[in-house]
Parts: sequence; C-alpha cells; structure tokens
Amino acid sequence: MDTILFNLIWVIPLFTVLACIPIPESHAKLLRGIHTVSASVVLAIVCYLTFRVYAMGSVSASEAAAPLLLRFFTDIPWLSMIGAHYIVGADGLNILLLALTAFIVWAGVLVSYNIKGNQKVFFALIQILATSVYGVYMSFDLVLFFVFYEMEALCMYLMIACYGSGRRDYGGKKLTLTLAFGSSMILATLFGLYFEGGVNSWSITELSKITLPMEFQMWAFPLMFMGFAVSSSLFPFHFWSPDGHSSAPTAVSMLAAGVMMKMGAYGCLRVAMFLMPEAAKIWLPYVVALLIFNVVLGPFIALRHKDLKYITAYSSISHLGLIFLGLAALTPIGLRGASLQMISHGFLTGLFFATIGMIYERTHTRDITQMGGIMRKMPFLGVGFVLAGFAGLGLPGFSGFIAESTIFIGAFQQDSTLTRIVTTLAILSITTTAVYILQTANRMLHGPLPQKYESLSDGCFREKLVIVVLVACLLFIGICPSWISDMLDWSIAPIFEKISAATQPVVSGIGG
Amino acid sequence: MLDLYNSTFIIPDLLLLLFPFIVIGSRLFCTAQSKVPWRIANFGFVAIFIVLNFIPLASGEGRFFISNWRIDDFGVLMREVFLISAILGIWFAKDYFEHGADGKPQMHQIAEFIGAIAFATFGGVTVVSACDMLTFFLGLEIATIPMYALTAWNKKDQLGSEAATKYILMGSVATAFELFGFSYLYGFAGSLHFGDIQQAVAAGTSPLLWVAVLFLFCGIGFKLTLFPFYTWAPDVYEGAPTPVTAVLSVTSKATAIAFLVVLVFGPFAPIQEQIAPFIALLAGTTLFVGNLGALKQSRLRRFMAYSSIAQAGYIMVALLGPATTAKTAIVYYLFVYAVSNYLAFFIFGIIGHHREETFASLRGLSKQNPSLAIALAISMFSLAGIPPLAGFFGKFHLFFSGASTGHYMLVAFAVLNNVLALFYYIQLIKSAWVEDYDGHLSPLRLTRRQRGVIVALSIAVVALGFIPFLSNNIFAGFSF
Repeated sequence: MDTILFNLIWVIPLFTVLACIPIPESHAKLLRGIHTVSASVVLAIVCYLTFRVYAMGSVSASEAAAPLLLRFFTDIPWLSMIGAHYIVGADGLNILLLALTAFIVWAGVLVSYNIKGNQKVFFALIQILATSVYGVYMSFDLVLFFVFYEMEALCMYLMIACYGSGRRDYGGKKLTLTLAFGSSMILATLFGLYFEGGVNSWSITELSKITLPMEFQMWAFPLMFMGFAVSSSLFPFHFWSPDGHSSAPTAVSMLAAGVMMKMGAYGCLRVAMFLMPEAAKIWLPYVVALLIFNVVLGPFIALRHKDLKYITAYSSISHLGLIFLGLAALTPIGLRGASLQMISHGFLTGLFFATIGMIYERTHTRDITQMGGIMRKMPFLGVGFVLAGFAGLGLPGFSGFIAESTIFIGAFQQDSTLTRIVTTLAILSITTTAVYILQTANRMLHGPLPQKYESLSDGCFREKLVIVVLVACLLFIGICPSWISDMLDWSIAPIFEKISAATQPVVSGIGG
Repeated sequence: MLDLYNSTFIIPDLLLLLFPFIVIGSRLFCTAQSKVPWRIANFGFVAIFIVLNFIPLASGEGRFFISNWRIDDFGVLMREVFLISAILGIWFAKDYFEHGADGKPQMHQIAEFIGAIAFATFGGVTVVSACDMLTFFLGLEIATIPMYALTAWNKKDQLGSEAATKYILMGSVATAFELFGFSYLYGFAGSLHFGDIQQAVAAGTSPLLWVAVLFLFCGIGFKLTLFPFYTWAPDVYEGAPTPVTAVLSVTSKATAIAFLVVLVFGPFAPIQEQIAPFIALLAGTTLFVGNLGALKQSRLRRFMAYSSIAQAGYIMVALLGPATTAKTAIVYYLFVYAVSNYLAFFIFGIIGHHREETFASLRGLSKQNPSLAIALAISMFSLAGIPPLAGFFGKFHLFFSGASTGHYMLVAFAVLNNVLALFYYIQLIKSAWVEDYDGHLSPLRLTRRQRGVIVALSIAVVALGFIPFLSNNIFAGFSF
C-alpha cells in the first residue's frame, strides 16, 4: 500500500494535468482549485510516508550498513534494449527532499493564484515541473533519473519566458541552456558508467557494488560533478541563476531555488560521489578552492545589489556553496550538514521568494531603494520576510543555524589546510550575510512610507497560510533537528562507508 | 526456393510496386477534380501497412529472385517507416492541392503526385531489400528520380525550378560517384552479390577497396546531406513545395540512411572497425555544421533543412555500434524522427497557408491558438531531444549505440552539440510563445484533417517517449 502511494507521488501531478485538459481556460477558479487539491494530496501523502520511513528507520537504523536501505522499492523492466528499469525507492534523504518539494510545490501553487496570462497552461507546467523534481528524488535508475532531471528544462523555459518579468526571454534562455549544458555533461558520463561498469545495469544500487576502473573515474568524476554543479550554481557556473531567478515568476523562483538547485547537490552526493568514491577522494579537495567564490564573494555581491531577487539569488549561491563545502569535507558530519542545508535552504529560500513575490505583487517594484516603511502597511509579509532573513543568516532556533554549524564542524574535521581556511572564511562571511539581510530588511520595511504605497494591504489568508507553514517548518527543523538528522544519518552511512572504504593511492600533497 | 509460406513475405512489395500504376491509372476514369485517386491512395497505403504487419517474421528472413531480394526484420521495419512517411506526406500534401501557400500557386495533378511519392517509397523498399549491387543502385535511383520531379512540381514557381535544377545536378554527381564506387567494388570482389563481396572484403583489403569505400561514402554523402556535401539541401528544401520538402526530409533521408546501414553492416561488415574513424569524422562534422547553420535562419523551411542535416549527423553516430544495436537504434530513431518532423511540418504548413513561412509569422501563436503552440513546443523539444519526448529516447539509443564501442569522445561532442541545437529550437518556441501578436498577421484556420493529424502526432511524440511500446516491440520482438 505504501509502495503504491509512493509511486503516486509523481503520477498525481501528471494525472492532474490530463484531467484539466478538457476544462476551458475561462474556468480559472475551478482550475486553481483542482491544482491546489492535487498539490495538497501529494503533500499529505509525502508527509505520511516521511513518518513511515522515520518509524521504520528508527527500528532498523543499526542494519543500515553498506547497502542502501531503500523503502517502498519498486523495480519494473522498462526499456528492454538499453536495460533501463523503472526503479524507485526512498531512504531518509530522499523522502525528506520529497517532503521539501511537496511543501514548496504546494506553496508555489498557492502563491500563483494571481498570475497573469493563461492560467491553465501555467498550472499544468508547474505540475509537470513538480513531476520532474519528484522523479529525480525518487529514481534509482540512472536513465529514469536523467529523464526526470532534464525534463525540468522543458517547463522552465516556457514558464520563465511566458510568465516572467523583466528580461524574461534572456533569463529563461540563459537558465535553460546552461542547465542543458550541465546535463549534457552528465549524459555523456552516464554512458561511460554503463559500459565501463560492466554490469549492464543503470541501477544505482547495482553500480555501487562495483569499483569502476580508475582511468575512467578520473575523467568521468570531474565531468559529472561539473554537470551537477551547474544546476547548483557552483562557481564558475553560477551565472545563470541570478538572471534566471530574477526574471522567473514567483512560483518558479521558489521551485528553482528551493528544490531544483538541490537536485545538483543531491546528484553529486548520490550519483557522482557514491558511484565514484575513489575519484571523489582525489578531486573534491580541489573543489574546495572554487567554493571561496561561492561562499565569500556571494554575500559581498548580494550586499551591492538593489533588486530583491538578485539579492536572494546571490544569497542562494552562497548557501549552496556551503552545501558543497559539507560534501567536499568528506566526513560523516559534513555530509549530514550538507544534506541538512539542502532541506533547510529549500524552506528558507522558498519563504524568501514567496514573500518577495507577494510584496512585488503589491508594490510592483523589487528595487529596495524604491521601498521603505512598508512594514506599517504589510506587517505580516514584513515579518515573514524578516524571519526568512533570520533563518538565512543562521540565527539559532531556525534551521539555518543547525545546518550551517554542522557543516562547519564537519569541514573542520577534515584534515586539510585548504578546507580549514575556506571554512574559516565561510564562518566569517556569515557576518556579511547578516549585514545584507538586515540592511535589506531595514531599507525595505522601515523608514518613511512613500505616498504611493499608502493604499497597500497586507497578505490575504492564502498568503498568510503559506508564510505560516513555511516558517513553522523552518522553526521545527531548527528546534528539534534530531529526528531529521537521524534519518539523514542512516541514509548517508552507506555513502560515507563507500567513500571511506575507497582505497586509492591518494596522490601526495593534494588537499594539504 | 519459393515455397508458399515464404512467398507471403513479398506480397506487400508487389502491392507497393503495382500501387502507383493503379493510382495514376485511375485518372483515366475520373475528372481532374475527382477525389477518387486520393481515396485509393489512402486506402492503398494503409492496406499495405496493415499487410506488412502480418508478415510472420519470427522465422527469420525471406529471399527471392535468385536471392537478390531479401526481406528481414530490419527491412520490414524500414518499410513501415517509409509507409508512415508516405501516408503522412500525402495527407500533408492534400491541402496544397486545394489552395496555394506562402505566395505560391495551388498545385495540380494529385494522382501523379501520389504516384511519384509511391515510387519514391518503393525505391526505399528496394534499397533495404537489395542483396546485390545492381538492385541496390536501382533502388537508390528509383527513390531519387521521383524526388527530382516532385521538387519542380509547381511549374510556375521560379524558385522551385531552380531548386530542382540544383537537385538534379547534385544528384547526378552523387550517382556518378556511386557508380564509380560500385564499379571499383566489383573490380575488387569480382561479383555483384553482397555475400561474395563480404567474403572478399573479409579475406583482405586492397587500395581498390578503399577507393570504392571513399566514393560510395561521397555519393551517399550527397544524398544524406553529410558534411561537406550538404550545401544543396537548404536551397532545395526552401525551393521545393512544402509537402515535397517534408517527404524529402523523411523518406529521402531514411532511404539514404538505410543505404548506409545495408552497406556498413553488409558487404563492409568485416572492415567496420577500420572505417569507424571516417564515420565518426563525418558524423561529428555534419552535426556541428548543421547546428551552426540552423542558428542564423529566419525562414522555417531553411531552418528545417539545417536541422535535418544535423539529425543526419546524429544518426551517423549510431553506425559505430555493433550491428544489432545500431540497426535497432536507427530504426527506432527514424520512426521518432518521422513523427516529430511531420508534426513540425504540419504546423508550418498551417502557418504557410495563411502567412509567410518565417519565424516572424509564428508571433503570438500561444495567445492566438494555444493548442497549436503546444504542439509546436512538443515537436521542437522532441527534435531537440528533451525528455520525456520521443526525440530524447531516439537520440539516447543512437548515442548508446555509439558509446557501446567506446566512442565516448564523439558521443560527448554530439551531446554537447545538442545544447547548441536546443538554442535554435528554443528560438522558434520563443517566437511562438514569448513575442507578442502583431495585428498584421492573418488568422489561422485548421481543417478537421489537420487538427486530427496534429493531435494524433502530438500524442505519438509524447507517448512514444516514455511508454516503451514501440521501442520494446522493435528491440525485443525482432531479431536483427
């Protein structure tokens, strides 16, 4: 029963799209209702399954050793000639990411009620996008994984170009083509994984049982890692994200920054590092050097920007840098921190973009110099924005604090000078983050209220609900992180096991 | 040799040979405006397609006419591709006989037109069935000569005549190359039969053979629009009537690819590894040049010409794999390509009936006719190879075949080129989805047939992708 429910997660959004085809475009209210119900049903299913996994996981956490412990496992032959199967399953990490996605999709649907243009197509695209993200987090077959991974490009462009604002065509094209460039690198290495692996399987669990030839790993790992890093906007592949986010409609920004950028980090962990641990050990210490730009320069650039979405985009770049710092640390605590940060950042950036979208809908500007004093008119939205900011700068009590401190502890455990230097810089850069977030909140929310904003209203019930739910999630993770980190721990254990068991003649001098 | 059981194999071929004569002959008994030839054509093609599906192929292959004519699994599937292309082609052409398009006059003589397409189809069938070089050559010419005539179908159209002249000249040069190659091959092997040639090639190579290989590839390079022989394609695609361009881009391309497949995995099988670098070079350059060329286009059919040049490059990648993998990948891709390409052409045709055939005419399509804009996005994303559409799985199989013999560099190059391709397909989608409707464009009207075909093809492009119905049937049900 649970397995069927699990498979329904990605089927329901698609089915909703099909069900809406006969409804004419003019029945916007009905369409919105159907999509909201569908997103809520998926959210309910995912929440239920998350607790199921938690309950099962706590019983058998001890047995979570070398092989992946997958719940709701489904394996059906799919494309016979290339040996692709339909393999889906969930461990602690996946199911939490699925829950994150379900929350963001649900919130995204709720904040898109006032979208201009053809709402029927817009909601259909959101649902297809949701399908692709759910699929990525569920699949344990590389072909299936890639299909879902690249499907997003199709919807993203259409959504940004048709429903976005500003330089929407430019932003959409930049985003889609850069992501396609990343996935093309991944696709090229996937063929190598299949043929060099010699097990004639695309299954991640099967492939993780073998050791791939070292010559192959040495070129394949960086390629694949780069491919995934593109979607997580690791320097120097970050250039698509500010333009893409700023021109996207609110729901797309939320999904893109909140969930899709995590797909890259998740892919790095689950595919690149898990299947090629030997090369990961050799290459990852170098990656740390790139992170200086993400972690340290990101906040400084955000400091200079006046556009709210650009500020959030650069803050996302720096937060994703922290995820990679956790991954590159190659310690269990670092990996746990990285995955905690994936989930925490998803919620906080979702909240960020949601409140920005709501404020933009009212003020029609995202330029903070044009704003001021709007707290008086929109206390609820203002508080929502400030709370997102607090979570972003890592205030204790919010999820950001737990995630970031775990990453820093994990990274410091790594016995390498470079990593320690970068970690120290990253810790110091939190100050910059605090500066730009407080400065933005201050300029936007306080001071004299311009005449033109006199008639603005606060959020309606629907908008308040979104803010309350997302804030509740942030606080919940922040106040009692133990059950989430338990779930993460036993799903990361096999990955770490594999990395630590990887015995390669590590080239001396690398990483200090 | 000709027992009763095996002789059923050849029925569709004989029907296909008779068929054009029936269609053209029907003109003797009806008026110029009569719908009879059109109905006969529809009935005939569909009937042959159905008969084709009854061939009991699990038993291997059938050989006829002193074993010069072979019907095997690959052949049957290719016949299906040719027939689908012919059916869609004549459906597409029908509108052009009712009124003109893109500033060109209405076309006439539908019966002869259909007859010519049927001959071209039979030519393709001959190529995939051939077991000796003479039949092979005849097939290629039967497939090509009707296309020359079709290109110049609009006698009053200057551009059409120019395109046809160019096509005939280029085609003749290609034929000359082919013949030269064949004669050298005969000189090398001392026989016209593929079996004997294969034995001779396996026994040892000589410079004579390499000259033959080189000339044969040059000859087919013209017809398959491979780099550097592709230059005629944009002009011919642009000059020919739109339905002819559609048929040209599918039937003619499929024939040329089938020619290469038969050659590489037949007589040249023993030296496949030695010619692999050559194939890889042709594939890489062709797809790169095609993609680069498409970037700058503003006319729809010129754009499709470059796109199809690039697609030829992608198909060539599969030729590097082992026989079974390569053949299956190519057949599957041709199905997918035919469906996606015709979907694009049907949409362009509707645009062309009311407006000029340029990118600018697509402006505001998403607001004016959202379903058509969705169909356009589906066909373009499929041609670009974005999952979960059929085009992605088609390309995946092609790359899979190339990668299975370790050509990772070429595969990586092809995959990266896909990003370039995505850029120009997105340009087209941008015109339809992002740019605003400009009041000067005349409104679009769809006939019932057009609407039906577009819906059916869109569903096919989506469903062929992730529902493994077609791919698994091709891959599992047939032994190559």
